[in-house]
Order: sequence, then structure tokens, then C-alpha cells
Amino acid sequence: MEFSTVQELCLHLISSAYQRCRLSEQICRLAVILTRSSSSHPSLRISISDTGIGNCLEEFQDLRFSSTDFADNWDGMLSLKTTSIRDTEIHSYQINLKERGSSRITRLPSNTKNGAKFSGSEAYLSCFVSRDLILSDIHTFIQKNIAIQLVAEDCDVPESRYEKIFLANECKQLPASASNLELLKSGIEDYVVKHGNNLSNMCNSCFPSWEQLKVGIGVACCTDNRLNTELVMEAVILISNISVQNITCFREYDNRTEVLYFKDFSPCTISRSSMKALQSIDWKTYGLNLRGTVEQDGVTLLEWENLPTDTHIDIVLHVYHKQYPALDRSFLSLSETVKTPRKLSPLHRNLVKRAVKLSLDDLKANHSQAFLSSRALQIRGYAPDLAKTIAGLILSSSDLDFQGECFSLLGLQSQEVGTDTVESSIEERIVSVIEMNDKKPYNSQQVAPYLFEELENPVQESEFQENDFSPLDF
Amino acid sequence: MEGKRRRLQSESQAQSVILLTKIKEFTRALLTDLTNGRSPLIVIDRFRSYCAVPDANCFCASDLPCGKEALTLRTKSRAHRLVVMLRVMLIVQKLLQENKHSSKRDIYYTYPSLFLDQSVVDQAINDICILMQCSRHNLNVVSAGNGLIMGWIRFSEGERKFDCISSPNSVHPVPVHVEDVQDIISVAQYILVVEKESVFQRLANDQFCNTNHCIVITGRGYPDIPTRRFLRLLVENLRLPVYCLVDCDPYGFDILTTYRFGSMQMAYDTKHLRVPEIHWLGAFPSDSERYFVPKQCLLPLTAEDKRKVEAMLLRCYLQREVPQWRLELKLMLQKGVKFEIEALSTHALSFLTDSYIPSKIERKLIM
Repeated sequence: MEFSTVQELCLHLISSAYQRCRLSEQICRLAVILTRSSSSHPSLRISISDTGIGNCLEEFQDLRFSSTDFADNWDGMLSLKTTSIRDTEIHSYQINLKERGSSRITRLPSNTKNGAKFSGSEAYLSCFVSRDLILSDIHTFIQKNIAIQLVAEDCDVPESRYEKIFLANECKQLPASASNLELLKSGIEDYVVKHGNNLSNMCNSCFPSWEQLKVGIGVACCTDNRLNTELVMEAVILISNISVQNITCFREYDNRTEVLYFKDFSPCTISRSSMKALQSIDWKTYGLNLRGTVEQDGVTLLEWENLPTDTHIDIVLHVYHKQYPALDRSFLSLSETVKTPRKLSPLHRNLVKRAVKLSLDDLKANHSQAFLSSRALQIRGYAPDLAKTIAGLILSSSDLDFQGECFSLLGLQSQEVGTDTVESSIEERIVSVIEMNDKKPYNSQQVAPYLFEELENPVQESEFQENDFSPLDF
Repeated sequence: MEGKRRRLQSESQAQSVILLTKIKEFTRALLTDLTNGRSPLIVIDRFRSYCAVPDANCFCASDLPCGKEALTLRTKSRAHRLVVMLRVMLIVQKLLQENKHSSKRDIYYTYPSLFLDQSVVDQAINDICILMQCSRHNLNVVSAGNGLIMGWIRFSEGERKFDCISSPNSVHPVPVHVEDVQDIISVAQYILVVEKESVFQRLANDQFCNTNHCIVITGRGYPDIPTRRFLRLLVENLRLPVYCLVDCDPYGFDILTTYRFGSMQMAYDTKHLRVPEIHWLGAFPSDSERYFVPKQCLLPLTAEDKRKVEAMLLRCYLQREVPQWRLELKLMLQKGVKFEIEALSTHALSFLTDSYIPSKIERKLIM
């Protein structure tokens, strides 16, 4: 992996620190500290430390820095201290990212842990980059991403200390054992209730309760044979209803959908194959009509047709390798801009599609009424007529025993029986059957129209399901 | 006679009771499915009166179903079909309970906004007949009646008397309630079925039945169910030969096959409607030469005519049961022309009465 700016490298180091924290399964601390020590040494010291599982040297093997900047604001030397929980000492290294070959990593004397049990890493470097520039990049990066402590200090300028702790899941407490997916879900909820992190707290006027958020999650995995590692795609879709009367609340993209995309715990631009995957999803099965996609300020937006004005859809996708570290080749292979192996593209597309579909299914399973397919909505339109007719068949029958039998099937007491009661009771059941049918994949219902062969002029389309007869077939 | 009428009435009432029971069973099963959270599945047998299998190694003649289709709540079109069928069933239940009759058209106008089209109602009626294993008249659904009859016959339909014999060339409507027809008396020697009302009126004007002891029936184009059921009743009761006179064009031929083999739409009830004894009297494509039809009366087959003939040539029953008919149909395609029955009358107005029909029957120039 090759970086051309210190900012890019820092973001990568933060991402990998975050992954080490996630893997430790303990509450971890991740600190990013930018210090300008004195005016006589105007260099900026950037330290990224974490209490995660500790570094693995392999991840630095393919790391390169090739600055095209003539000012050459960094010498390429990265210092690293790391220890795993099993280690008895803290290992120190110096890595020259501008050099190639085995000599680039220098082992420095270790420090003893004195029998203490802990793990963690610190990577630091000194450079001549504007503090404000780096601060702004890191701020934007972690705002969307992780719980982190960010400190920037200029020792020569009193009260110049900038310190901010970003706590992920401020609004909702999650156990330390929460999975990546749960954290992603919680993160997007947090992001949405703060109007895309434009507020520091949850907007109570738009979101009086968490219950109004409809969230669907989906995970799809596959094995990347070349790297012998498992690739995971997690998708979270969140539907929220914001009253159109809350016009004071900021809505950056109206009711278009911003697709947040993460690769190996880092936010990045959505890949083309992922976009294609999103475009190829049969949204109509879930009652949604995708009009198209647009790019606005580097953000990918999905545009919808006939979406109620108060409905907002947010989507977040996260693709990562289960194994840490995600070696450079594998990382690059997902960003299709650099020598992408062609074969990974359909694989990736398929992963996105599966994960998004699963999260839509999840939404539908928990909120069936809200996500009826356009087909089911049309069928549901017949429910009142159908209920009225079946009620008519019962109520107009001259056989009172038959009527009584039907009422008891519907669970109605004879004294409460009226046309409206019978009709609404039947309609309720019809609607629930239509909703149930809609949850099943449509393909499973596609069956041969006729048992044997087509007629010269088939009267009407039809279907037949084998081994699925009912007493109605007499 | 009174006893016979009472027997017919009680038979019809018994049939109504059976059907009402079946409708209740159907409703109960539907409701049970819904209350148990099962999606209803209504399986309907499919029937056909013919296929287009070239080697004719089929079982279309068996009257057995050729497949099944299912009505469910899983697609919009099937859900609509289910609603329509149930709505028609509701009307039928009322008709049977109140012992009333209704036409298909009346049913359509009960809920035109739901039914959208008459054909949808027709299909629903057919579906119900297949499900209930009965004929359309059993549902108390009747046609207005389009057919006409004259000739040497007398019968009654319930209280109504049809005394055609007293004036054999007077035109009477074909009875609608064929199941109520009784006391059939005839001195006719054959039954003549003509396709068109114009030909029927020509024969009436020519006093055809004075010189020919026969019964003449017309369905006025494609025959409706009462006409076909009545014709079949006459053939079964009187055991008379039946001849059919149609235009020499694809539609005339199709009407001929409808009388003999039944229509595709009513294939489920064909065994009660078809008249396999019917012979084709004319007009054959080969008649144009035999009877010197003037060239200006021979109209070229249109592209649609040709398509229709080609499709009909594939029907399995032609090869299997009436290969000669098929040869004539092929000849029509080869000659590329068609003509109406009236074209035979260019030599003399009463040519049909005086010459064509009697000579064909006498010389057995029939198929």
C-alpha cells in the first residue's frame, strides 16, 4: 500500500489501530496526539496509540510512502512500540517507509513490562505538516467512525490545547462484547438521530423515541481464495420518519439517501461495483422505487420515487477482512482504482447485493406492513372486496348452522356478529396472509403455469404448486 | 305429464341443494385456510377440446383434464380472478337459494367496476362450473337465447308450448331452459343446422319445410349454449341425422367444428354440448366448381383467414375423426378463396331450397 501524504498514512494508522481494538474484545482506548513541541523545533509529532491487541510487523512490510511534494515534509521514519498480551516486553522498531527491502525495519532495544499484563501499540512520527490541516482531516475521519481521543497541543502557545473525545454510541450504551455489526448499527442510529452528526446530541424533536427508527441488518461473507481470508460485508439500512413540520432541522440531502461506505474500518468513497450492486437490487420487492443515483460533493446519493416526504432512508455498508491485518494486496484489491483483479468485482458486487438484500429482508420481517412490495400492495387492494364477498357468502347463506360454524372459525361470538365485524375480521386475516406471502422469496412462487403444456390460446396466466393441495380442490 | 314436470322440478331442486352444499364447503375451506394463516390455493382443472400435436397421439377425446391451474393471493391477476370468482359465486348462491335465474350479462352489470369486462365474468362462471363439477345452467345462469327453430316438431318448455308443426315455416326461438324441455314430438326426417339467420330466413320464405320434412335450427353465428344443448337433446331423443350448412370460409368451418366438437372455452362441459353425429352438408370449397359459383363471388382469403385456417388444420380432432373435412379445409387454403352460402343462389333465388340441400342429402354429398 502506498501513501503520498502524511494525512493518508495517519488515517490508515488510525484504522488499523481501531481494528486492533475491535479484536481485543476489551474496552480499549485509542489516542491521537498532535504536538508541536517548541518554535525552535517546528516539527509536528503525531502519535497514534491504542490498547488493542498489538501490532503485527507484517502489516508494515508492504507499506510505502512516496511523497510527490517537493517540500518533502517528512523523512519517512515511523517509530513503533508494540506488545501483545503474551509478550513479556515492549518491542520497539523504526521503519523507514521511503526505503525498500529488508533493511527498512530496524529493531530497537525492548523495554520490559515488569510482569504486567497489557497489550497495545504506539506509532509516531515527526513531520512538517500544518497541524490544522491534519487536525481537520482526522476530525472528519473519526467523527464518522470511532471513539477516539484527539489532542493537539502547541507548547509555545498557552491555551492552544485542543482536546476532544469522540465517544461512539453516545446515545446508546452497548456492551463491550458487541459485534462489529451491532456497533455499525448503533453507529448509524447515532449518526441519523444527530442529523448526520450535525448535532452533538440526539435531536429530540425529530426523534422522541428510538422505536420510530426501523433498522434492518444483513451480513454476507465469502472466502477470498487468493488471500485465504474471509471477506465480510455488513449492511445496515435505517428508515426514519421525520415530521415535515420540523423545518428547522437540517436535512442535507432532502429525502435522498446518503450511502456511507467503509472499507476495513475506514470511511471511503463507494466503489463502482457496490453502486452497481445497489442499482441492481429489486427494491420494488420492498415497496421502494429507486429512480437513480447521483454524485454530490463526492457523496453518493440514491434518489427515490414516490417516497413519502417524511421518510428518510440511510444506508451504511462496511466491507472488511476477518483476519487482521488486512494485507495490502487484499486492501488494494477492493479499491478498484489500482490494478484491480477483475474477478473480485462480481464477487464484491454479489456481497453488497446479498448483504443489502438481507438487511431489507430483516426490515421486512420486523415491519412487514411498512415494506410490502408494490405487488403485495396491489394484491392487498383486493382485500376489502374479497373480505366483503366471503362475508357475503357466509351471511347470505340460509344455513344457520353453517353461519355459526364460520363465526366460530373467526372466533366471533354470535351476539357480536354484524356485517362489519365479520368483514373486518376476514379482511384482517387476508391482509396477514398477503403479508406472509410477501415475505417469501418471489422465485419460490414462480411455478409452471400448467401441469402439462400450454394451450393454443391460454385463457389466463395461472400457476400450479405440486403437493400443495387444499380442501378447496374438489 | 304433470308427474313428469314435478320430477324435473325436484331433480333441479336436488341439484341446487348439492351445489349450495358445495359452495358452503368451499367457503368453509377458504375460511379455514385464512384463519389458520394459510394462503388459499384453489386448484382448477383445465380442459381442452383439441390440441395441436401433429401425430394426434393425444387424449383430447377423453374429456379428461389436461392440467391444472391455481388461484392464489400471490399475484395481482390471480387475486383479481379470485375476487371475481367469489363474487359470482355469491350471486350464484343467492340465485340457487331463491330459485331464480340470471344471465351472464345481468351478472356483469351487478358489479361492472369490479368485473371490468364480460369475459372475466364468463371465465369466473366456467371456473365455478369446473370446481363444482356441473354445467352452467345448474348454476341458474342462462343465456338470453339466440337460436331459432322451425319445422316438424312440437315440444314444451315448462308451461310454454312450442307447436312448430302447426306452421312448420314459422320461426320460434330456441328454448333457454333446455333442462325443462319435454314432450318432444317430431315427424321430421332430419335436422338441418344453418350457420346464418339470413339463410334460415331464406329457407322460411321458400317454405322449405313444406317440401322437406325436417327441423331447421340456427345459432345465428357461433351457437350459444342453449342452442347447442337443445340440438343435442333433439339428436338424443329423436335419433335423426343432422346436417350442417355453413359459409365456405374459416369462420363457417370453425362454427361447424363448434357444433361437432365443442368450443375451447367450454371444453370442460363439451361432453354435454357437442354433437358428434353432425355431418357437413356444405358449402365445401370443392362446391364452387361443382355448383358453378361465379368467379366474382369467390373472395380471396385475407391474411387473417389464412392464419386461422393454418391454425385449424393443426387441430388434432380433424385428422383423427374427420380427415375428409381436413382435406376440404386444405383445399380452401390451396384455392385461396372463400364464398358465402348465398353465392350458390346466384343462378336462382330458391336454389338452396329447390336443389342444393335436397340433392346433397339425396345423393349423400355430405361428409
